[in-house]
Amino acid sequence: MSTTTIPAPSAAAGTTGLTFLGVLRSEWIKFRSLRSTQLLLLFTFVAVVGVGIIAAFLRGTIIDQIMKFGATGPTEPGAPAGHQLTLEQAIDAANAQGISIYGIPIAGLQLGILVLGALAVLLIASEFGTGMVRSTMTAVPKRLPAFFAKAIVLVVVSYVLTLVAAFVTFLISIPILHGYGIDMSLGRDGVVYTILMGGVYVAGVALTGLSLGTLIRSSAGGIIVLVALFFLLEIGTSLLGLVPGDFWKYVGQYVPSVAGGRMLEIGDKAAFISPLSGGLIFLGWIVLVTVPAVITLKTRDV
Amino acid sequence: MIEAVNLAKHYGAKTAVGGVTFTVKPGMVTGFLGPNGAGKSTTMRMIVGLDKPSAGTITVNGKPYAKHHDPLHQVGALLDAKAVHTSRSAYNHLLAMAATHNIPTSRVNEVIDMTGLAAVAKKKAGGFSLGMGQRLGIASALLGDPQTLILDEPVNGLDPEGVLWVRNLAKHLAGQGKTVFLSSHLMSEMAQTADHLIVIGRGQIIADAPIATILAGSQQARVRVRTADTARLGQLLSANGVQVQNNERETLEVSGVDSRQIAQVALENQVLVYELTPLTTSLEEAYFDLTKDSVEYHSQEFDDAAAEPAPALKGLQKR
Repeated sequence: MSTTTIPAPSAAAGTTGLTFLGVLRSEWIKFRSLRSTQLLLLFTFVAVVGVGIIAAFLRGTIIDQIMKFGATGPTEPGAPAGHQLTLEQAIDAANAQGISIYGIPIAGLQLGILVLGALAVLLIASEFGTGMVRSTMTAVPKRLPAFFAKAIVLVVVSYVLTLVAAFVTFLISIPILHGYGIDMSLGRDGVVYTILMGGVYVAGVALTGLSLGTLIRSSAGGIIVLVALFFLLEIGTSLLGLVPGDFWKYVGQYVPSVAGGRMLEIGDKAAFISPLSGGLIFLGWIVLVTVPAVITLKTRDV
Repeated sequence: MIEAVNLAKHYGAKTAVGGVTFTVKPGMVTGFLGPNGAGKSTTMRMIVGLDKPSAGTITVNGKPYAKHHDPLHQVGALLDAKAVHTSRSAYNHLLAMAATHNIPTSRVNEVIDMTGLAAVAKKKAGGFSLGMGQRLGIASALLGDPQTLILDEPVNGLDPEGVLWVRNLAKHLAGQGKTVFLSSHLMSEMAQTADHLIVIGRGQIIADAPIATILAGSQQARVRVRTADTARLGQLLSANGVQVQNNERETLEVSGVDSRQIAQVALENQVLVYELTPLTTSLEEAYFDLTKDSVEYHSQEFDDAAAEPAPALKGLQKR
């Protein structure tokens, strides 16, 4: 290897300097050039589609059962046939219990956000872990453009990935549900809505993950807090529902995963916030984590 | 051109850099010399805004680094050879860095060839040796063909060929009128590369002068004298307030007077002198002279006293 060459000053001349578009391109190169990123994206896709397929079979079976035995479950053998419901009645009955047909394309999102959320934390925490962040912030000394460029890459990739995964799940679910006599189509209430909105939820979780990674600067720490926010908090508050008094029964609706999940449903539900409110609360949680992340990134030494 | 004015950095109660003022001028290689923990790296990180100064200002070409619209064309910095993602290839790392400033891919290939990384450019940076990592760091610093080059301990882990290359690169760029600022704790390295020296110890500037002045400054005109009668000559010279050291048989080391004066004294007193050699100070000696009070981490002497059990242990043994 020869190291005797002396630098030519030529090629770098005539460039335009630091631009946001350049930073965006840089973050995209960084995003696509890691094997771990590609693998995690693949896992996310497989998880969403896989769980969706299982959900199609399960929900088909449940509706089949409801049709045969009524919404309250199997009755004694030889019960009068009058208990039987029509298909649409059975679908409505299942829907009232949170088992929807229109939600099948995004049934796998809870697993999907676990993988993609971890990817989002890693996207910045691994830069802190390896020291890469010092190169990044030397090239982009104002720092925030690098964060926003990362956020844009992440939001676009997670939205598109979820959209495609949800649509593929939808296509696969058509023949499965047909086997149960259920007609699955884009014309069914809520199907187009969930296919389009699933990505919003996943992108929101990813943005939260990116902010947590920025705030905590550690991959493990960031993922733990993300899991706590989107999984443990829901379990914790569901236990609160056992406490006497109506107040505690409503607290659970305000945790990010429940509010975000409500955003993905259609129609009103008794004693429950509306899908729009759910979406706004979910957005509130994202802002709550992102603002301190941006402030610390700007002010703390790297 | 780098200008620091009353630049300070505190970490809690600890002071890393304690209000330093200095200027690094273009067209020459400026060495930044100091023992471990003296504040070299902290100062360099503050130049590119990775660390925020607790007080004072630091500017590059008249502006704080972050205020430039083309930071990588202003300053190229190698601050930490480990500032890469271990799972990304060297090529992709440089490509991503270049993209921020819309630097063409041809320049990426140019710096790869320049630093001798062509053979390993597509391999993961995490597998690089210290020397290869250092080359990648230098390639990264050169990407924007910067007006100012900052290299923190650039020769760490490099093979002799690499060391020579860095030395020539620094001189070449300085010759083009660029500002070159490199730190080291190795005096020998500085002696061969730098034109100007800034010596730092415990966060304070100890010396800021051309390398020749620093050598001359500590050089108290010492002369080695070989004489048949060291006792007599030593006595005669000491009487004039001159420092005399008797190191070996028939040899004196005299400082404070020059050879001619010593010869004069010897002639007047009929003492035989058969060698008079003016001694020059090495940069190494000058450096130890300057920093002896400001070394943060003193190595412990290995003497027999230290091997004895501590008093508390002695007490236990008596019982």
